[in-house]
Amino acid sequence: MADLSLRGLTKRFGDVVAVHDLTLTLASGELVALLGPSGCGKTTTLRMIAGFDVPTAGRILLGDRDVTEAPPEKRTCGMVFQHYALFPHLTVEQNVAFGLEMQGLGRPAIRRRVAEILDRVGLGGLGRRYPRQLSGGQQQRTALARALVINPGVLLLDEPLANLDAKLREEMRFYIRALQRELHITTLYVTHDQAEALVLADRVAVLMNGVLQQFGAPEEIYHRPQTAAVAAFIGVTNFLPGRVTARSGDRFVLETPAGVIRARGTADLREGMDAMLSVRPEHIELGGPDPGVSPDGINSVRGVVRERTFLGSLIDFRVDVGHGVLLRVQGRAAASQRAGDQVTVSFDSAAAWALPGREG
Amino acid sequence: MPAALRIWGRHLLILPALAVLAVFFVAPYLNLLVISVMTPSPRAAYLRILTLANYTRLVRDPFTWGVVWHTMWLGIATTALSLLLAYPLAYHLARATRRLRAGLMVLVISPLLVGVLIRTYGWMILLQDTGLINQVLRALGFRAVPLMYNNLGVLIGLTHVFIPFMVLAIAGTIQNIDPGLELAARSLGAGAWRAFWRVTFPLSLPGVIAGTVLVFVLTVSSYVIPSLLGGFTVLTVPILVVRTITELFNWPGGSAFAIVFFAITLVALWLYLRLIGRAARTA
Amino acid sequence: MVRRSERVWLNIAVVLVYAFLLAPIVIVVLAALNSGAYLRFPPEGLSFRWFAAFAQSRSFTRSLAFSLRLAAIVTVIATVAGTMASLWLVRFGGRLRTTLRLLLIAPLAVPGILTGIALLIFFYALGWGKSGFAGLILGHTLICIPYVFLIVSAVLVRFDLSLEEAARNLGASAFTTFRRVTLPLIKGGVISGAIFAFVTSYDEFNISLLLSGVGTTPLPIQLFDFLRFSFDPTAAVAGTISIAMALVVVLVTQRLVGLESLYTGG
Repeated sequence: MADLSLRGLTKRFGDVVAVHDLTLTLASGELVALLGPSGCGKTTTLRMIAGFDVPTAGRILLGDRDVTEAPPEKRTCGMVFQHYALFPHLTVEQNVAFGLEMQGLGRPAIRRRVAEILDRVGLGGLGRRYPRQLSGGQQQRTALARALVINPGVLLLDEPLANLDAKLREEMRFYIRALQRELHITTLYVTHDQAEALVLADRVAVLMNGVLQQFGAPEEIYHRPQTAAVAAFIGVTNFLPGRVTARSGDRFVLETPAGVIRARGTADLREGMDAMLSVRPEHIELGGPDPGVSPDGINSVRGVVRERTFLGSLIDFRVDVGHGVLLRVQGRAAASQRAGDQVTVSFDSAAAWALPGREG
Repeated sequence: MPAALRIWGRHLLILPALAVLAVFFVAPYLNLLVISVMTPSPRAAYLRILTLANYTRLVRDPFTWGVVWHTMWLGIATTALSLLLAYPLAYHLARATRRLRAGLMVLVISPLLVGVLIRTYGWMILLQDTGLINQVLRALGFRAVPLMYNNLGVLIGLTHVFIPFMVLAIAGTIQNIDPGLELAARSLGAGAWRAFWRVTFPLSLPGVIAGTVLVFVLTVSSYVIPSLLGGFTVLTVPILVVRTITELFNWPGGSAFAIVFFAITLVALWLYLRLIGRAARTA
Repeated sequence: MVRRSERVWLNIAVVLVYAFLLAPIVIVVLAALNSGAYLRFPPEGLSFRWFAAFAQSRSFTRSLAFSLRLAAIVTVIATVAGTMASLWLVRFGGRLRTTLRLLLIAPLAVPGILTGIALLIFFYALGWGKSGFAGLILGHTLICIPYVFLIVSAVLVRFDLSLEEAARNLGASAFTTFRRVTLPLIKGGVISGAIFAFVTSYDEFNISLLLSGVGTTPLPIQLFDFLRFSFDPTAAVAGTISIAMALVVVLVTQRLVGLESLYTGG
C-alpha cells in the first residue's frame, strides 16, 4: 500500500501555474527527495500535501484516505518547516508535547513519549529550555522530534538543512537518513541541493517549473537524465549539440561539431532527430596531441586547451574541440597540459548520453 | 464544520468595528450633509425645507472668510515653526543608536498622551501676564510681554503640541537615508552643513512634505488651544463652527460650515497619504 | 555630522527643543507641588495642599471617577473590536484591505470637533437627546478603535504564519491555534493597544465637549470649565495624574511592542 499518493496535482495562482499535473506515489518507508531549483513548485506541493494550500485540481491520498479536502489538523502527516516554526513561548518539552496534547493523550503518557523522543534525538536534558536558547542544530532536532512523536503516516521535510552551516549540514544529513531508516517512516524531502538529494534519497523526483521531469533512483537521474533540463541541473556536464545519424538498440551514432560520436541515449530518440549530447567532465580523459588508434567504443576528439584553472585537488581545463564548442575536462593535479597545447580528449561511448532537444 | 462556513465565518471578525464605524461615524457625517441643506429656524433645530442658502451664505459672508484666512495663516505659521524646531529632533532621533532612540521616542511620544488640555494649561501658567516667563523678564528689568490671549500664545501652544507629529513624520524618512551618502559627500569635499543641505535634506523632502501637510491639517482643526490660549480674541474655524451650533443654534448653517471644513480636511489627508506613499517608495 | 565639533550645534538645538517640548509638562507637575497659589520664580516651597484640595473637590473627584469608568468600558469594547478587525485585515483583507484600513483610521484623521458635532446632531435626529453615557461610550470608542487597530496590526504583520501552520499540522483546530499560539504571541500588542485606548479615552476632549451633559462630565471637560475662570493649581493635580498615566503607558508600550513600530510602516 502506498503511504502517499499524488494524482494529477495542479496549483494555479492567478495566471501562474505553480504545479502542473503532478502524479507521484511513495512506497511505504521510502525517502523521496523532491528536487528542483527555487520557484519550481516543490514547496507549494508540500504545502498542498500538508493542507495549507488547496489544490486547483488533482487528489492527494494519505494511506488510502483521500485528504484533498481535509483541513490540516485532520491529516496524518508531520511537517518540519524550513525555519523550524518552534513556538517561542513554549519550552522544548512543551513544543514536542503539543501534537500529543491535540491527540488527547493523558499527561503521564505525554511526558513519557516526549522524554523518549528527546533522548532519541539527543536532546535529553534540554527539555526545559526555550527555542531561542538552542543552537541551530538543536532547534532542528527539536522540530524533528515534534513532528515524529505524533507517529505520522508521512513525514514532510521542507529544506530542513538550508539554515545550517556546511559542516553541520553534512552531519545532519546522515543523521536524518539513519533516523528515517530506523523508524521506517515514509518521507518526502524537499530540497534544491542536488548533492543532498542524491545522497539521501531512495528515489528522486526532479521538478522544474511545476512539471515533473523525472522520477527514479539517484543513479538513474545522474547517469541517465531524460531531459536536458535534468542533465543540466544535476551535477556538472558538457553539452554538445548534434543529430542522430544511426541507432541500434540503445546505441547511437551522432554527428556533432566535434565529429562523429558514439553514445547511449534516451528511448525516444530516433534517426534524424536533433539531440544534445551530455558528457560529464569526470568521464573525459585528456591525452597528447596524437590520438593514435582509438579502441572500439571510445570517442576521441582533437582540441586545443584554452584555459587551465587550478582547483586544488583537480585541474579544470576548457578545451576547444572545434566550431566554438568548449568542453570542460577535469584532470588530476599531475596533468601537465597548458593553455595553447594541442590535446586529444577521449571518453567511453557508454559515458556519453544523448537527449532529445536543442540548445538550452 | 463544513468548509464553506469555515471560510465565510472568518469575515465575522471585521463586523463589530465596521458596525461601530458605519453607524456612528459614516452615518452621522451623512446626516450632517443632510442637515446642511435644511433651512435654519429660530424655534426648532431646523425646518425641513431644502435649500442651498447655507452654503451660499457661507461663501458670501466676509466675516466667515476672515475667520478662514486667519485660521489658514495660523496653520501656515505653526507648520513653519514646527518644521524648524522638529527637524533637528528628527535628524538626531533617526541617527541615534538603538538604545538612545528608544529613550528619545519616550520623550517624543509621552507629550502626545498627556492630552492637549493639560499641556495648554502648562502654557497658561508660563505665558500669562503674571506667569513664569513674564516674572523672569520683570526680574531682569524688562517690561512684561503679552504672550497669552493673543495670536502669539496660540502659535506657541499649537507649535508645541504638533512638534511630535512632525518629528515622527520626518524621522521615518531620514532613517531610510543611507548615512553613507553624507559621508560620501564629505569625502568629495563638502563641509558638514553642505553635505547635509545638498544630500540629506533633499532626500528627506518626502517626509518633510508629509509632515507639513499633517501638521497643517491638525492645526486648523484644533479647538482647545485657540480657545484657552486665545481667550475670546482669537477666532478659528473650529471655534466658529462649534459656536454656530451650540450658541447660535444654527444647525443647518453650522453643518454646512462643518461639511466644507471636512471636505477640505479630507482633500488634505488624501494628499498626505499620497505623499507618504511616495516617501515609502522612494526609500 | 562626523566630528564632535559638528555634533555640538545639533546637540544644543536638540536639547533646547526637548526643553521646549517638556516645559509645560514639567511646569504642571511643579504647580501641583507648589505651596503657593501662583507659580513664582523662585519657587516658594513644596506642598501637597493642592492634592488635598483635589481629593476634597466633589466635582473633580466625581468627574475623575466618571472618566475612569468611561475609559474602562471603552477600552474593553475598542480592544475587542480593534483586535478582531486587525486580525481580519492582516489575514483575510484581500482587495478591500486599503479601503477598510482607511476607514478604520479615519476617526483619528478627521477633526475630533467635527466628529463631536456630527454625533451630537445625529443623536438628536435619533431622538436620543444628548444621550449621556451611551453616546459618550460610542463617541470615544470611535477614536479608540483606530489606536488598538494600528498597534495590533503592527505586531500581527511581523507574526510568523508558519507557527500557526505548525500548530495546525500537529492537530490543533483554527480556534485552538489562535488560543494557544497566536494570542500568547500578540499579547503584547493587544495590551499596548488597550492601554493606549484607555489613555486616549481618559484624555479625550473634543468629542466629550459636545456630548457631555449634567452628571456625565468627564474630567477634561470639568477641567476646561474650571480653567476658563479660575487659576487654582487644583487643576494641576488633574494634570499630574494624566502625566503619570501617559508615562506609564509609553514605557509599557516601549517594553512590550517597541515604539518604533508606530512610525516605521505603521
